[in-house]
Amino acid sequence: MIEFYSVAKEYHGRRVLKDVTFQVGRGEFVFLTGPSGAGKSTLLKMLFRAERPTSGQILVNGMNVGIMPHGRVPELRRSMGIVFQDYKLLPTRNVFENVSFVLKFLGVPMSERKRRAYQTLRLVELHHRLSALPEELSGGEQQRVALARALVNDPELLIADEPTGNLDHRLANEVMKLFAQINVRGTTVLVASHDMDLIRSSGRRCFTLDRGRVLEGLVEAALPPQAQGKRDLPVHEEL
Amino acid sequence: MSAPAQGFMVVSLLDEAISGLWRARRMTALSILLISFSLFLVGVFFLVAENLRSVTETVREETAVTVFLKADVTEAERAALEKLALESRLVAATRFVTPETARERFLTSWKSLATASATLPRNPFPASLELDLLPDAVGSRAISGFLDNLRAQRCAEDVQFDVEWIRRLRGVVAVVRAGGIGVGLLLALGAAFTIANVVRLTILLHRDEIEILRLVGAPEVLIRGPFVLGAVLQGLLGGLLALGFLWAAFEGLLRYVAATQNVLLGVFVVRFVAPEAMAVLVGGGVLAGLLGGAFGVRRKNLEG
Repeated sequence: MIEFYSVAKEYHGRRVLKDVTFQVGRGEFVFLTGPSGAGKSTLLKMLFRAERPTSGQILVNGMNVGIMPHGRVPELRRSMGIVFQDYKLLPTRNVFENVSFVLKFLGVPMSERKRRAYQTLRLVELHHRLSALPEELSGGEQQRVALARALVNDPELLIADEPTGNLDHRLANEVMKLFAQINVRGTTVLVASHDMDLIRSSGRRCFTLDRGRVLEGLVEAALPPQAQGKRDLPVHEEL
Repeated sequence: MSAPAQGFMVVSLLDEAISGLWRARRMTALSILLISFSLFLVGVFFLVAENLRSVTETVREETAVTVFLKADVTEAERAALEKLALESRLVAATRFVTPETARERFLTSWKSLATASATLPRNPFPASLELDLLPDAVGSRAISGFLDNLRAQRCAEDVQFDVEWIRRLRGVVAVVRAGGIGVGLLLALGAAFTIANVVRLTILLHRDEIEILRLVGAPEVLIRGPFVLGAVLQGLLGGLLALGFLWAAFEGLLRYVAATQNVLLGVFVVRFVAPEAMAVLVGGGVLAGLLGGAFGVRRKNLEG
């Protein structure tokens, strides 16, 4: 589903990612971790062509993302669900509109849009706040709206950048359970997180970004002490 | 794209455009007012041009020389005068006006003076010969000599025709009309520029939203389309509003003229703009919206 071959990314001569090579199979649930500034978000952005690799090749579902024509990028993005670290909700639209407008692009009729948006919001337990604006929601609720928007289109690939970063532990567990449910339905899930406990307790495959390179597994030595589980964090439930 | 899909796309665009305008309704109202003001100025030009045209037509229709005849004029003298006029190649037709016809005309034109006129012991209006000039006669060098020749005739009491005044008026009208086209074009460009800036401002306010729409895979047509369509709608509403303002201003002027009996304004404020000009005003608003919208959604503006 996701293939990186010797991918490098430079910003103004500074190399952020070097020779990144890894693959994620269809239907897998994979974590990506690393210290802040390691390039997790950059790597995810290259998957939906918000960034282009300086060199190397990236294949997503067989499409060569780095060289695909600009006009095909919307199609690529619509094939995946993306949960952004800062939610990226439309501030002037309510919860229902934020979730359903993706379906509008695909020509889904209004009645069907309503049904699917409601179902997805029910999944994230926000079906009672359909007409609330993002500014009326807590950080956790906004995160869940962003998640609902990513899921409403039943995507083949779900990408999430620090999806539990603003959630308390109970909600973080709920969200991770939700990801697991989605994964069971066949969706490939790639989650960037620096929450070691969460990753450890999940028992899922993990990649660690270390000085611009991707290492297979949870390489704790590459992470700063505070990310290595030295905080007094509760143990997450098995996903 | 299939026909139903295209229909759906158009409905979605319209829906997004109207929703976008409604969400930013204060901004929208301000934009429409700005656009309507620009188009109102264009409309004022149309109104002035229309009424100047009307004045020019009236002057053209009334370019007749009036030769007032002495009371003792004979039939032969009058016939000789008519012959002289027609042979000058400056006159298209002649018309003899009897003192009775002159009096009737006066009573028709000045109804309020009818009672006073009836009290006069005798008809004070002289007989006259009206000479309708050919279209290019006023500009001809021969006209002055012809008028002098008429004045020299024994049967002519007075010859009334101010060729210089008519020439000057025609000159002014020509200058105003030529200048007016330039001013009208400038005002139309100003309206398009206003709309383009309004759209750009709207885009600036929605930049985050545009970025999000792109990130979640919205097609470009659905990102740019609502802005362009919104600008077209704003142009349309601005055009209609400008027409409304123009009508209100015209009606106001008419009432003012009626109330004050201002002769000068009475001559120049006669008719409202022609239907074609109304269509141009509203269509111009739509076109300015389209151009302004298309200019506003250029990639440079969308991506900052």
